[in-house]
Amino acid sequence: MIKILHPFVLFMFFFYVIFTAVFTFNPLFLLPALFGALLFLIKLDGAKTVKILIAYIIIFVFIALSNPLFSHNGATVLFFINDSRITFESLIYGICAAMMIVSMLVWFNCFNKVFDSEKIMYLLGRIFPKLALVFSMTLNFIPRMIKDFRSINNAQKSVKQSRVKRYIGSFSAVITRCMENSIITSDSMNARGYMLKGRTFFHRYRFTVTDAVYLCVFTALFVTSLLWKCEVIFYPVIQMNLTALNCVSVISYFFLAILPFVIEVKEALKWKLSLPKI
Amino acid sequence: MKVKTILSYVLSLILIPLVIVLGAVFFGKQSYPAISAIVAFLACVPFFLTFEREKNTRRVVLLAVMVALSVAGRFIFAPVQFFKPVSAIVILAGMYFGSQFGFLTGALSAVVSDFYFGQGPWTPFQMFSWGLIGLLAGVLSNSLIKSKILLILYGAFSGVLFSLIMDVWTVLSLDGGEFNIDRFIAAATTALPVIGIYVVSNIIFLLILSPLFGKKIDRIKDKYGV
Repeated sequence: MIKILHPFVLFMFFFYVIFTAVFTFNPLFLLPALFGALLFLIKLDGAKTVKILIAYIIIFVFIALSNPLFSHNGATVLFFINDSRITFESLIYGICAAMMIVSMLVWFNCFNKVFDSEKIMYLLGRIFPKLALVFSMTLNFIPRMIKDFRSINNAQKSVKQSRVKRYIGSFSAVITRCMENSIITSDSMNARGYMLKGRTFFHRYRFTVTDAVYLCVFTALFVTSLLWKCEVIFYPVIQMNLTALNCVSVISYFFLAILPFVIEVKEALKWKLSLPKI
Repeated sequence: MKVKTILSYVLSLILIPLVIVLGAVFFGKQSYPAISAIVAFLACVPFFLTFEREKNTRRVVLLAVMVALSVAGRFIFAPVQFFKPVSAIVILAGMYFGSQFGFLTGALSAVVSDFYFGQGPWTPFQMFSWGLIGLLAGVLSNSLIKSKILLILYGAFSGVLFSLIMDVWTVLSLDGGEFNIDRFIAAATTALPVIGIYVVSNIIFLLILSPLFGKKIDRIKDKYGV
């Protein structure tokens, strides 16, 4: 499971893969990015993916088709709508933009599945310890506030008043209660020495050899895919000059994008194969 | 510690122009949406760094409460569509606790609410725009507390500001970095009814909550001697 990798390694992976897809803007990079992200999402989510896939397709078509309607650059005219040119180049550009945005959305969706708030807090806590504390307190407060609100709101139902008024009144009561509690909480924290020096905080992540290996592999693939990236010129005519080195870069990006899916499948197979032995 | 903070300030001040220049020179205009997201995030970093020097535990906990309130409000008012108290809470935080506090409440509310509604490339923009709303509310705090008319105007202004910044991002990313003014106008006009509801809900929340909020704070000051 890719989830058990160290948060830093996982974060770097998502950074690499999204960064390259966005900053090359080349169909040769965008296709594997989209493909790898979708496979990974399907592996993570299973049958639940179908619903969101439809949404992605709608977004894709919308972006791809709307570009030629607004941008009339390009030499190859396909047809005219209301005296404005619809060109082949701007259609291709629209498809590329759609691939970029949809692959970014899918990668971010995978990111949300893999990164729980604890991982984000751990990464954040390194640089901003106080902010990380605020985060974890906030995530604790939210369900409590909603519960408080429900009970106050239920009690208020017996009083005759409009729904909006009741909601706002109950919300205001929640505000008072939480602000007063915050004073008590902070006094209690101070009494336990929160602001003293030399505090440490608990986490359960350890940087292992596996993490180091994966980090090296991800970084190497990222560097080679950026080093020899190739540019595409869309207007007025689509041009792309491919050299052997460019192919290396495209292939290494393909491996980078497909790697999480491969890891997941490999681990699943390992589990299936080892089941009879247990 | 001091050297470290100065260094990080300099870094974020140099890093922002550096990202813009590098992005413009080495990558084409297709990368503008990504660059603008990075810049929007980096713009929030100095505020986060200042907060790390906060010595008062009460302000730390209070920030958590305000952020939690704005996010919980989104859930509580979910049955009433488009009626969200986030901007109002951010404005109140800026008005009563200062501009830095307002910015942080706005920026963190965006991040935390995206824990529930999904992180994405839009997160830095939400952080930046809500942060800006809180910051400005802090700057104008004296006149906002005194004058109801100004408060109404500011509520309306913040609703429009938030929508427009988000529309800029939508258009930038849809066109792959090309800022098409026709498209911006099209996006803004289709968003008009939503902007209208934002503005109205902002004003209603502000008008009701602002006097209550002042009373609550006075009460806490009396009770605990803050």
